[in-house]
Amino acid sequence: MKRQNHRIDELLDSVTADMLAGGQPQFTDTGLRVERLLLEMVRPDPIQPRRVLPEHLHFDFHAGRMTPTQALRGLVQLVQVSARQRGRPFSNVLEMLPNPDDDAADDSEVRLTAEEQLLRDLVNLAVTIRDDGQVNPLTVVDVSHGVVQQFRIETGERRYWASWLLRDFIPNYTGDGMIPCIVIPTENTSVFRQARENTARSGLSAVAMARQAALLLLTVHGYEIPDGAVTNDFYRQALDLDLRGKREFTEAILSAMGGMKRGQFSHLKLLLKLSDEALDLADRHNIEEGKLRHVINLEPEFHAEIVHQIIDFGLSAKQVKELCEDNGMDENDEETLDRLPAAATKVAKLTQAVKTLSAGDIANAIIKQEGDPEIAFARLQALHRILTDALKHLSAK
Amino acid sequence: MTRVFVFTNHKGGVGKSTSATNTAYGIVSMLRHAGAANPRVLLIDTDSQAHATLVTTGSKDYGADDSLYTVLMADRHNAAQTLLNCLVPSTWDADLHVLPASSMLEGAERELNGLAGAPYRLADPLNQITNRYAAIVIDTRPSFSLMTEMGLIAATDAIVPVEPRYLETVGLMSVVGKINEVRDGWRQPNLRVSGILVTKMNARIRGHKYLLDELKSHSVLGPLLLGVVPVNEAVSYAHQCHQSIFEYAPTAPASKAYMDIVAKLVRTLAAGGAA
Repeated sequence: MKRQNHRIDELLDSVTADMLAGGQPQFTDTGLRVERLLLEMVRPDPIQPRRVLPEHLHFDFHAGRMTPTQALRGLVQLVQVSARQRGRPFSNVLEMLPNPDDDAADDSEVRLTAEEQLLRDLVNLAVTIRDDGQVNPLTVVDVSHGVVQQFRIETGERRYWASWLLRDFIPNYTGDGMIPCIVIPTENTSVFRQARENTARSGLSAVAMARQAALLLLTVHGYEIPDGAVTNDFYRQALDLDLRGKREFTEAILSAMGGMKRGQFSHLKLLLKLSDEALDLADRHNIEEGKLRHVINLEPEFHAEIVHQIIDFGLSAKQVKELCEDNGMDENDEETLDRLPAAATKVAKLTQAVKTLSAGDIANAIIKQEGDPEIAFARLQALHRILTDALKHLSAK
Repeated sequence: MTRVFVFTNHKGGVGKSTSATNTAYGIVSMLRHAGAANPRVLLIDTDSQAHATLVTTGSKDYGADDSLYTVLMADRHNAAQTLLNCLVPSTWDADLHVLPASSMLEGAERELNGLAGAPYRLADPLNQITNRYAAIVIDTRPSFSLMTEMGLIAATDAIVPVEPRYLETVGLMSVVGKINEVRDGWRQPNLRVSGILVTKMNARIRGHKYLLDELKSHSVLGPLLLGVVPVNEAVSYAHQCHQSIFEYAPTAPASKAYMDIVAKLVRTLAAGGAA
């Protein structure tokens, strides 16, 4: 920050030389430190690919339209409605937990909704924190500015929400409103570090991984990462980018994504083609990439419906593939034409320029491209074969 | 542990606010000069006259919603957040944060009297944010009121500014005794008298020199002598301009004296020992 004036500097030079000479105190930051921070000073990262709250609450909270307590109240009300519709109403969040004294209460058969499961997990975590204390500190970055003192969560958003839940929704809270955090110096933070932290833990959904992949790609391609919550369209910008564009970062990106292969990375990124509703559903229900990869081949208006079917009927990847291919058979020819490979389109263009070509030029160009007349011969033969087949297709139509 | 320095003396006009404000600013400047990652200092004004607030923020128009009064009246669970919301940056330096006083603090004492846990209404929320600061400086009012008691309970180091006059030095032992009483009575083992600061020293007055010598040779008070600030008109003019003495007159004798004191305090911050 720019200093307002400098009249004190000379005085400081003289005094520090006299008073601090010989034993110059060390005030430099020693790196990671664990501090107990006021819950209100800590905020989740709006760009974090792993979202805890349902989408509408996530956006309202990060836009400053809701306090943490109001966001949690919104979640509790959402779950109360959903639970009541399924015949298991509750008034206190602690009722979400199974009753250990009730032998008949075997809820292994009960299929909870995603929101019910989320709240139940948070309540469980909150009760653990209440009973055993918070063993793992959150990882936060100091983003304080002036008198506004704030820390952005890098990892541990679920523990953050569980702490709020414990403070405001669970009786007999005896804490002091503080939460232990590992404070990372701002200069040590990076999107790679966050990605490594995220992927090192289990439970990151395929959609969250896709967002994480997109975030890494956007960062290395120099896109500005906003401070506030972003819609899926922000992540979808990564669909136009690939690892080849920034080869020097490829290894770092794949390593940050848990050491995955290029192919896996590419498949994950393509999940961002899913419609917003399908993305939200797939994220909330933790649907695997292997199932979703077939859905993206369909038109966006069918995405959410297929994802619903995956959830409702517990479809396997093979069943999803068959379902999506069936849907594909119903498509008309016009839609099929829209999805032609780029190489076929190029050959089609070439047919329009055939009058300007000579056979010798083509032969020479292929020899120049391949560097060997025999390989050039083989290439032309292959082209000849495929053109003959294309003629047969045209005759059939 | 963040050190919390409280400048206190039940005698008025001895330079509590001047010492608190200039020391706070001096610590910020010196820590930054020494390359500290966190040079932030919080100045808390508990005096309803709000002189420290006025000179460091250029205003004393703080009231029920944005001052120490707000913190003291806040719900206990939200007091720390309220405290954070009430902080204002000083016009002297962006890393010097001020919790302003307001004239309503007079009424706060009456409102809080008899309320359970009233003396901890500053210490409790402050404890939750102390690690955000390299040091905290509290300016108190010239009396041993509830407000001063709150400042002492929240502090780790009491510094007693005193003029080198007979009655003031005679009263010094009672100030030290009162601080010890707060430490023992309110179970605050971290609180100690860390320094005596002789202010408005005029070396040409024989009485001043005599009393300073007496102080130095005193078995209890002598080792506590933190520094001697000469009487200097520049201090008054600096107040008038809402500036620190270091910026208004860096070469003035009072500037140099305060800078020596700041250096001693900064050295203790680094060492974690007594001032």
